[in-house]
Amino acid sequence: MSGPNFSTSSRNSDQRNTIDHSISHRTAIQRGIMAGILALLFSSTAVHAQDLEITDAQLRLLPGDLPAAGYFTLHNAGDETVTLTGAESSAFAMAHMHLSSEKDGMSQMDSVDQLEVGADETLEFAPGGYHLMFMNRQQPLEVGDEIEVTLKFDGQAPQPVTFEVVSPASM
Amino acid sequence: MYKWLAPAVIALGLMGCEDANWHSTDISEAMPPLDFHLIDENGNAVDAEDYQGKTTLLFFGFTHCPDVCPTSLAKLAAATRQIDEDLRDEIQVLFISVDPSRDTPEIMKQYTDVFGPQFIGLTGEKANIDAVTNRYRATYEYGDKDAQGNYDVSHTSAIFAFDHDGNARRLMRESDPMDSMVADLTRLAREG
Repeated sequence: MSGPNFSTSSRNSDQRNTIDHSISHRTAIQRGIMAGILALLFSSTAVHAQDLEITDAQLRLLPGDLPAAGYFTLHNAGDETVTLTGAESSAFAMAHMHLSSEKDGMSQMDSVDQLEVGADETLEFAPGGYHLMFMNRQQPLEVGDEIEVTLKFDGQAPQPVTFEVVSPASM
Repeated sequence: MYKWLAPAVIALGLMGCEDANWHSTDISEAMPPLDFHLIDENGNAVDAEDYQGKTTLLFFGFTHCPDVCPTSLAKLAAATRQIDEDLRDEIQVLFISVDPSRDTPEIMKQYTDVFGPQFIGLTGEKANIDAVTNRYRATYEYGDKDAQGNYDVSHTSAIFAFDHDGNARRLMRESDPMDSMVADLTRLAREG
């Protein structure tokens, strides 16, 4: 986002600078090159962000201070593998990545430290599988609210995602 | 000459279909009738006899379970919503806590209310809960506590179905397709 802002402001200052043509022209070229380089630098981050498509983000709220579950679909539309390392939200003191599974008729839950999502792959956090477990609610929440959750990645900018608060009975 | 055979063959065929129509596992021989002494979500001591007269589904879990238990209960709630209203009232779901130290009657009530009026939370002394899990060969196990004292509980995920008299009938699974669940629950409720 900073990339386009920077080049826009530099263009505006060039347009205002009309007194000395020869000087302003050179300056404009230099500034243009600088803006281009900066835009490229910023856009490499920006492209990465756009390569991650996060949809269907929902927080399934349980009553009282019971832990809530977060679900979403993450599609990596980029060319490189991304590594999801966790999540955080100001609405809860803790958020952990978990995997539910069934073994010999027993439901169990295991902690997950990180998850790799290859190029063009989709990772689903869905009931009965991967989920975010949110604990110790920090603010009142009710069905229909929206909360900000930041998904964290290894070597990549964190992604803010809006989660819709839903009832566990709404399936 | 063999015309009489046709209805007989059709009848036999229907009988075969009828039996195959069940999607869940028959546990009528394998499991004993419903029996327990627990505490209901209003804090009252209750016995299995208090829940006779309805098709009863039994499910073990705990309220601090963010994913599996709400998913199973939500699926049962969705399945019962698809059943005709008059039959729906013939079904009750007993959610028995395997985590009584955290699951007080108050928490159980808050929790089951989310899923609908037919969901009833039961908790109690650990020995009494163990008596129920042992009776239905169900198990549970506590995970290690983290720094904040939180812990997970792994538990049997099956759903046990009983008839109006408390006799064991079917074993259902959360992973059963919705249509199968609705069909079996409808049939159980009809048979009483």
